[in-house]
Amino acid sequence: MKLKRKVAVTAIALLAAGLLSSCSGGGSTAEKTTTSSFPAKWDKEITIDVFDGLANYMGIQKGWFAKIVKDKFNMKLNIIAPNVAGGGDTLYNTRVAAGNLGDLIITDKGQKLDELVQGGLVMDASSYYPAMTNVATFDKAVDNVNDGKDGIYGFPTQVSSIKPTESSEGLDPTFGPFLRWDLYKEAGYPKISTLEDLLPVLKQMQDLEPTAPNGKKVYALSLFKDWDGNMMNNAKQPTCFYGYDEMGFVLAKADGSDYQGILDPDGEYMRTLKFFYQANQMGLMDPESTTQNYDTLFSKYQNGQVLFSWWPWLGQSAYNTDANTKAGKGFEIAPLEDMNVFSYGAEAYGGKQVMAIGSKAKDPERIAAFIDWLYSAEGTYANNSQTMGAAGPQGLTWDVASDGKPALTDFGKQVFIDGKGDVPAEWGGGDYTDGASALNVSLVLPNDVDKATGLPFSYKFWPSYQKITSTPLSEDWSAHMDDATSTMDYLAKNNKITVAPGASYTAPADSSEIETLRNQVKAIIVQYSWQMSFAKNQSEFDSLQKELISKATGLGYDKVLKVDMDNAKAQNDARVAVAAAFK
Amino acid sequence: MTVQAALVHEVTAAELGDEPGGKKRRLREKHAGGRKSYGMFWCIVPFLILVFLFSYFPLYGWIYALFDYKPALGLSGSEFVGLQWFEMLVSSPTQMTQIGQVLVNTLAISFLGIATSVLPLVFAVFLNEVRTPWFRNAVQTLTTLPNFISWVLVYMIAFSLFSSTGLVNSILTDSGLITAPIKFLDTDQHVWVTMTLWSIWKGLGWGAIIYLAAIAGIDQSLYESARIDGAGRFQTMWYITIPQLMPTYLVLLLLSVANLLNNGMEQYFVFQNAFNKEHIQVLDLYVYNIGITGNSLSMATAIGMLKSVISVILLFTVNTIAKRVRGTSIV
Repeated sequence: MKLKRKVAVTAIALLAAGLLSSCSGGGSTAEKTTTSSFPAKWDKEITIDVFDGLANYMGIQKGWFAKIVKDKFNMKLNIIAPNVAGGGDTLYNTRVAAGNLGDLIITDKGQKLDELVQGGLVMDASSYYPAMTNVATFDKAVDNVNDGKDGIYGFPTQVSSIKPTESSEGLDPTFGPFLRWDLYKEAGYPKISTLEDLLPVLKQMQDLEPTAPNGKKVYALSLFKDWDGNMMNNAKQPTCFYGYDEMGFVLAKADGSDYQGILDPDGEYMRTLKFFYQANQMGLMDPESTTQNYDTLFSKYQNGQVLFSWWPWLGQSAYNTDANTKAGKGFEIAPLEDMNVFSYGAEAYGGKQVMAIGSKAKDPERIAAFIDWLYSAEGTYANNSQTMGAAGPQGLTWDVASDGKPALTDFGKQVFIDGKGDVPAEWGGGDYTDGASALNVSLVLPNDVDKATGLPFSYKFWPSYQKITSTPLSEDWSAHMDDATSTMDYLAKNNKITVAPGASYTAPADSSEIETLRNQVKAIIVQYSWQMSFAKNQSEFDSLQKELISKATGLGYDKVLKVDMDNAKAQNDARVAVAAAFK
Repeated sequence: MTVQAALVHEVTAAELGDEPGGKKRRLREKHAGGRKSYGMFWCIVPFLILVFLFSYFPLYGWIYALFDYKPALGLSGSEFVGLQWFEMLVSSPTQMTQIGQVLVNTLAISFLGIATSVLPLVFAVFLNEVRTPWFRNAVQTLTTLPNFISWVLVYMIAFSLFSSTGLVNSILTDSGLITAPIKFLDTDQHVWVTMTLWSIWKGLGWGAIIYLAAIAGIDQSLYESARIDGAGRFQTMWYITIPQLMPTYLVLLLLSVANLLNNGMEQYFVFQNAFNKEHIQVLDLYVYNIGITGNSLSMATAIGMLKSVISVILLFTVNTIAKRVRGTSIV
């Protein structure tokens, strides 16, 4: 009996201990021997888990980028992408609670990084830092990211040597009213004074082409809900045409001249909701907007079923194919007379995301070497995200021509202009696009200048590229837009852009109370924004607006707004300071 | 001797403990009875462990409602905030209204479910009357199948049928009956009813299985004698099959009442959108939306506790009613 009882008690105790201990985290400490140079060769092959908050691909990296990483580091990348897994922060929270986020971590700086450091989930890389010679070029940014920490935990992304008061965006801004230029031309280039004036123009365009080549109905506007956060994401975009960007529930102007709460009845956000409502009343709004996701929308753009795009990287990248642009069809920016597009200045101390090494990383030294390589010219050419004009590996897609300037190879032209191409076996084989870096993060901005060539890393800036990509579409657009050579050129010449200096500001973490209030308020705001956009009539629109304001206020909107307002002002102070510091 | 009998025996022996040698005998009896009850006890230990692990151990998780839990820091690293979340819940009238609405949704959908719980029974009774075996089997298979389809797939089916470019709208538009597509999925009207219809579609055949089994167990002589007395088909259904199924039905009904607040979240999660959220958000979904989507894990725990509190209140209410009506009760 005694024995039995002992056994039972022990079993229960073990069980309980097992259950409890499985919840604990804890980190290991790296040995404090400093590395001054990385080995040239790595003997054992490893596969590392990359927790990548930006990736849109999940699984082992394939193709030519995988081959480069394998050749240089004898390493495979297993990418874990919360974006693909879905469910918001669920994947992050479960992995973090389990005490191991990944070997290589790409996440937000500020609150998230701070918590990871505090919770012992990321490693202090100080001992490898002396060997990281490429990162050292951006020493200031590294210092800034790790300010207030007792080591080097995070490595900045999107660094460059461009001034913070200059745009970080290259030839195209992030935002802008892009429409189907061929139909706009057919409508006779009508004058568009304000956002609201777009509606009759879009109506005219939709009437000119009521059905797409695939037989489906064409709509001027089509929305999606995937990226809704503090507000309905699509409804924020037009506010960016007037120089505003979001800071929580605040819309702050790039030059610090105005701050609005998004629920201000006369504010820019409400203006957009009204714009959507009117568009829907005029039959310009795709009724599928309420249910579709980004992928569906993207294929609609590809099929020519949508006529307006908030961003160049949606409409243009989907529709402006070689065949379409040669036929004079495609998305180009429309000249709204009163627009003043928001532009992100080059972040002096790096972008919102950081790279970090997990505290339980398999071979931290090799990961440090990998991170360092990503900052090198070779890494920048290979790793930059596809949409930002990553030129790919030298020798495959581009090479330095006889004049010393970089130019695309025949294969490069095939890939970047025709959009497809099979990589030769010695470079890893497979489709070129499939083999591109799935990390989806630029450590060095693609419009930063490569010292070796004297031109930016992105092929889109190369004169050799611009010469071969002139099409009937771009020529017509340019002729109509004061002979501008690019969207950015037009905006700059006409004073229609405001650059918000890149201060790398991150808002301090919300207190838990504010965070909870915010989450509830934003759910209400998103819900009602959609309902208002698709309201049946003006009286329903008005009553929904009233209901939204009273519910949001009841759930604590004002309290959160005050925090955001302070943050927005602090952000502006940081912008002013950084602009002065880098003058 | 059963455990209970042993105890009774021991008590009587103790009460009558005035006979000679009573003490010794008592000890011996106790020992013997004890050994037996230990044996029985070991048999239920695995189940006790299971109950402990799955019903009581999770209560430990309630502690998260008292903290400001951040996964990266763990519970030990998170700040203890006491009753802050509960205060937040009750301090805002809008929040209280919202929770009230959520409870109304939960109960309404549950009661609609209970009200329609008679359908599988009716279906089983009629299906049993089908005399062609292949047809009966085919119907049964086809109606049971949806039970094995996940709600995500059910939503895909719903979407391809009822979205604004779905089959139904395409047919209606092409035949010229309507000009603008009907918004079946993104409307706030009749959400409770449509949700109930979807659950019926999914669960009807599955729910009928247990009744079909019960029907198979009905004594055939009842039917024979009824037929001799001149009963027709409908009369045998009404006077024999249905009364015989009543006990089964009542047990299932009691079980569904016990699950009043547990109407799950998958179905409502996949069907929810900005337009029907107000009336589709049931308690489980509300907790999910706040905890997982909204990333306020501690707050969600606090609201989850609310569910347990309401369940306990419901239990005691039902118990009191049972006591008044039947004179017996479960607690």
